[in-house]
Amino acid sequence: MSALAVRALEKRYGGLTALAGCSFAIEGPGIYGLIGPNGAGKTTLFDVIAGATPPDRGEVTLQDRRVSGLAPHRLVRLGIARSFQECRVFPEYTCLENLAFSRIALGSRPDLQEARRLLELVGLEAYADEPAASLSFGQRRLLEIVGTFLQRPRVLLLDEPSAGVNPALLEILSAFILKMHAERPGLLLVIEHNMEFIMGLAADIIVMHQGAVLERGTPQAIQASPRVIEAYLG
Amino acid sequence: MTRFAAPAALLAVLYFAPALSGPYLLHVLVLCYLYAIPAVGLNLMLGYTGLVSLGHIAFAGIGGYTAAVLMVDARLGYWSALAVAVAAAGAAGAAIGLVCLRFRSHFFMIVTLAFGLMLYSVMNNWDDVTRGAAGFPGIPRPPAFTTLESFYRLALTGALAAFAVQWLVVRSDFGRILIALRQDERLAEAKGVNATLYKTAVFALGSALAGLGGALQVSFLRVAAPASFNLAESINAVLIVIVGGAGSLAGPALGALLFVGLPEYLRVAAEWRLVVFGALLVLITLFAPRGIAGVIDDGWRRLARRGR
Amino acid sequence: MAQALLEQVINGLMTGSVYVLVALGMVLIYGVMHVLNFAHGVLFMLGGYVCHFFFTRVTGSYVLSLLLSMVVLALVGLAVERGVFRPLQGNLRNQVIASLGLILAIENLVVALWGPNALQLRVASTETLVALGELRFPAHHLMIIGITAVCVALMFGFLKWSKLGTAIRATSQDRNAAMVVGIPVEKVDMATFCLGTALAALGGALVGPLFLVFPQMGDAPMVKGLAGILLGGMGSVPGAVVGGLIIGVTESVSTLFLPTDYRDSVAFAVMVLILLGRPQGLFGVRVRGEA
Repeated sequence: MSALAVRALEKRYGGLTALAGCSFAIEGPGIYGLIGPNGAGKTTLFDVIAGATPPDRGEVTLQDRRVSGLAPHRLVRLGIARSFQECRVFPEYTCLENLAFSRIALGSRPDLQEARRLLELVGLEAYADEPAASLSFGQRRLLEIVGTFLQRPRVLLLDEPSAGVNPALLEILSAFILKMHAERPGLLLVIEHNMEFIMGLAADIIVMHQGAVLERGTPQAIQASPRVIEAYLG
Repeated sequence: MTRFAAPAALLAVLYFAPALSGPYLLHVLVLCYLYAIPAVGLNLMLGYTGLVSLGHIAFAGIGGYTAAVLMVDARLGYWSALAVAVAAAGAAGAAIGLVCLRFRSHFFMIVTLAFGLMLYSVMNNWDDVTRGAAGFPGIPRPPAFTTLESFYRLALTGALAAFAVQWLVVRSDFGRILIALRQDERLAEAKGVNATLYKTAVFALGSALAGLGGALQVSFLRVAAPASFNLAESINAVLIVIVGGAGSLAGPALGALLFVGLPEYLRVAAEWRLVVFGALLVLITLFAPRGIAGVIDDGWRRLARRGR
Repeated sequence: MAQALLEQVINGLMTGSVYVLVALGMVLIYGVMHVLNFAHGVLFMLGGYVCHFFFTRVTGSYVLSLLLSMVVLALVGLAVERGVFRPLQGNLRNQVIASLGLILAIENLVVALWGPNALQLRVASTETLVALGELRFPAHHLMIIGITAVCVALMFGFLKWSKLGTAIRATSQDRNAAMVVGIPVEKVDMATFCLGTALAALGGALVGPLFLVFPQMGDAPMVKGLAGILLGGMGSVPGAVVGGLIIGVTESVSTLFLPTDYRDSVAFAVMVLILLGRPQGLFGVRVRGEA
């Protein structure tokens, strides 16, 4: 039984094919990388898994239970959480309010102590009561990622977490992700363009190209693969 | 504790107003309260949740006409009729809201506009039930509240109840979710919020409050007329919410006070009042989007900073 | 029966033409600026008042007053675009709310200055009758249909062949791309708004002699113009023309079957049906996230 599996996913937007028979299965907890050239369909894949859009064909299963086509809010209750490529936080809410929302949305009481602890881990404790709009982009990214972990997900989809984040904050981000994963192991699937960043986190990399899975393997194997190199250059 | 001293004093003054002032002022204040109640409903929808409804007052009409028909034709007791009227407006809000909420931004506004126009058309033309354009006369005041002074207290209580509901909603988890929906609906959904459910709920609640205002209004005026619930009135409601301060607790009160009270005080003709308010709405949108409540809030903060 | 039907069809084409003039302006503004100008109705109304002013005070020529009112309203449109819509660009909610403020302010300003009563525009064409078979119509009816047809034809030609027209089409298709190729999109916004306002003014000035000039005269046409663009498809210029005419004709023909009180409701019902059944209208393309 796989923790997360997608089978023959297809998705078209008008004349554009975003997913063309995408399939893979992830057995259990761990940090997995999802890379591929622009237009490979990575974000669309996340949109489908997280329920933002239904697939035209194919299915997504969670612990062998079919979940494709369910609304995003239902998938959250099944244990899926995600971050967004463009980085989304509630701009008027303070950092604490943003983090507390992860629980409030599900009808539970927020754990402010835990929220503060995590804010400290990423160095944002000084901004606990500041509106998120006053943070820099990199800081907002950190806040967004912290928020996703507070959802206590079984499957966490991070969409280009390193994009737009300066190197100093990248170190903090990377350390934070590893620490969270060590505290509560889950299935982490991370879309990335920053090879150094993802190779430092994941032991298993999936490469997508033109809407389907091209190859899968360890960072070393992927970096050496001629097909992968050609997909990026060609 | 001192935070509550000023509002408490204000409330005391308002409550004892009948003893302190004459019928003209009382009449104006009653109108203020009756305008504020639907404004609270719209504030919850527009100010806190971000739903721009251009047909809000049509639901006040549903409340008003339901009350009229039940009280006069069905001869139902006043309070039962009032309760049913509010429930009817809320139910209509839930049903119509579900339809409208299938749309976003522009289209949502247009659908609410269209429904408002259709409901107005029904009120204006369904002569058998609503008595048509001439209006539905003979609506009673509640047994113990027939005089102006006593009705004043009823209207004040109604307004206070509406503001109490608003306060409870805003500080609850339900309210936090609404505010999150206004900021970023997609993000809220990704956090597990069933957006449609919450938006429909606030649409229903807002419509119920509008219905309360409408039912009390027809009782006060002793007549229900379609002109009280037309598109112009729905636009006035938006104006009251925005100028007062959308998304603030005091906004509907400030807006209603300004909209009803000020022109009476200045003895200005109705048209000029609306010219000024229309211009005010444009100016507020351009330069002070948080409305009067926002201006006061900013002024307060500046004073507090200087005090440090 | 056939005579009554034909009579209503012609009436409907006439009112439909007026709706087309309103709808054309709104659809152009929507396409280029992505905002629904709810205040279009009061601009229509101002066109009627300005025309009345010129006709009764300045020149006895109806045609000249018509043209002057279009020019004056184009300038008003310029002021509105620069003063209200441009600063609020990108914030749809505030643009709509500001346009509501404009409606209130302008409509009541007219009441305050001219009084609430309707004004008359005594124009020869309303009194001259033209025969179509056994039916008689005021020449003015046919004039409205004719002038609108000419305007529509000019509009299509303008959009297709002129430089500004092409710029307008480009900007409404893809604003960013238009900027990249050097189109001055801010000027396009201004020109489109002025053009739309002038068309609305024409509508008001044409309708004045028939139905009197009064402060609320733009309210219903704005909603019907809106219904017309919804029916035709948001963003589609031919759609606006077809939609406006269909609304006008359907409305008029409905008076044969329904009590005249419900005439206005036809447009509202069409709006709701379209939104529920086919939100993209007849010619529109379904845009993600719009409905």
